[in-house]
Amino acid sequence: MIVADKKPIEEIIDYVKDYQSILVLGCNECVTVCEVGGKKEVGLLASALRMHFLQQGGEVNIGERTLERQCDHEYLEEIRDNIDHYEAVVSIACGVGVQFTAEKYQTKPVYPGVNTLFMGANEARGVWSERCQGCGQCILAISGGICPVSRCAKRILNGPCGGSTAGKCEISKDIPCGWQLIIDRLKALGRMDDYEKINPIKNWSTERAGGPRKVIREDLKL
Amino acid sequence: MGLKDKIEAGEFTILAEMEPPKGVDVSVMLSNAKRVKDGVDAFVIPEMGNAVMRMSSLGGAMVLQNEGLPTVFQVCCRDRNRLAIQGDLLAAHALGINTVMAVIGEDPSFGDHHQARSVNDVDLFELIKAIDRLNQGKDMAGIELAGAPDFLIGSTTEAGAKGKSTEVEMEEMMKRVEAGARFLITSPIFDPSLLDPYKKRIDLRKVAVIPTVMLLKSLGMARYLVRNLPHLHISETIIDRIARAPDKVRECVQIATETVRELKHQGFNGVYLSTLGWENKLPEIIEGI
Ligand code: SF4
Ligand code: SF4
Repeated sequence: MIVADKKPIEEIIDYVKDYQSILVLGCNECVTVCEVGGKKEVGLLASALRMHFLQQGGEVNIGERTLERQCDHEYLEEIRDNIDHYEAVVSIACGVGVQFTAEKYQTKPVYPGVNTLFMGANEARGVWSERCQGCGQCILAISGGICPVSRCAKRILNGPCGGSTAGKCEISKDIPCGWQLIIDRLKALGRMDDYEKINPIKNWSTERAGGPRKVIREDLKL
Repeated sequence: MGLKDKIEAGEFTILAEMEPPKGVDVSVMLSNAKRVKDGVDAFVIPEMGNAVMRMSSLGGAMVLQNEGLPTVFQVCCRDRNRLAIQGDLLAAHALGINTVMAVIGEDPSFGDHHQARSVNDVDLFELIKAIDRLNQGKDMAGIELAGAPDFLIGSTTEAGAKGKSTEVEMEEMMKRVEAGARFLITSPIFDPSLLDPYKKRIDLRKVAVIPTVMLLKSLGMARYLVRNLPHLHISETIIDRIARAPDKVRECVQIATETVRELKHQGFNGVYLSTLGWENKLPEIIEGI
């Protein structure tokens, strides 16, 4: 899923301090699962904003709404009838949701209420970690199912580098060396032969470095 | 008088593009440069223009500097992060290069290494600021340098390109000047009147505006540019002139020379001659000025 984290409330207040009516807009998908942008968090952020404006002596109308998804036209249409009751929107969906809302409602300022981080997994209660950078040409088949692009600090395809020590990455003793993980996994699979092979230089043009990307599926187009 | 002094004194300067080789044989580059050295204030060494891999700007510049030829080193956002950029700048200055030009660099998809990952750690504006900061004795992390460089800083401008808003381009120019740029080189100009709206509003004493004059090599090239680079304005008159000329190469050189003369007459601070591999035509263009 897409993992996001809270933004400092002071930052959000700074974006919206001059508005008289604000809609806090949540999303029921990834950001609900990582407990940062769902219905519960919409309520919490709305209360925090109300409290702030009250302390400032201002009368600010804070609306609350959570959509099934903010990255789909269909669901975003659901707020068309009442979006004009608000001067601005704070979206606590991922960056995709914030932008899609802004694209749909061209004259409405939409502010991000979370920091969108990565595609990752829920390792344990309250812990999420990165697993994929959407490089556009998945090479997990050659790396034992562990991604060197997202789990090696240097994104090297033939590791480990000289900084790998006791299974940890040189950037922090708390971060496992991605290449140690790959080796351990290949061993467990009895596929150390794969480790002997030199992986070819990666084609980065399918990654973000090649510009904004798009998928067009002719078979699905209406 | 060196380029730096000339630009600071507001004198008309002639810069010439000198593409380094794709390989280590620098003999052609050197002989082309030597042939025109008396007519040129400095040679600008592109940093892998159009993202085609070749000898770096710093390397090419050093080859020429070692022969006593003044150069402008291009620093590019595309291929290096802030560590490498600053490191190269310090190296360049220590080796005698005192003029740099900050460029953004074309995307790798334009060049011959399509699968390369571009860096763009620093954008153009930040890059100019960073060079200026090095000049003031500090790096991008704010750490004091053991000896500060003293670069004359230049960059690019899209002023005069077709389809650009004068408003936005003026803004961009001013931002680059505020960041520390003392000269700005335009994209190729075939019709000097396109620069009129800028000339009226920009103080050419504060920033040297140096239009690029590109040598068209043939009718085919002119047509190709019209079709594929819509931001370049090449009029029908120019195309006609080349089409009707018995000696097309001579006509192309003539067109370049006339454009330089016109730009000089209009009070611009200099020209940047871009000959795209036909550096051996530089003497003819320069003689005609
Ligand atoms: S190889 Fe690319 S697509 Fe596959 S997991 Fe890693 S980043 Fe994601
Ligand atoms: S220590 Fe391991 S994870 Fe860290 S950069 Fe080196 S190979 Fe990559």
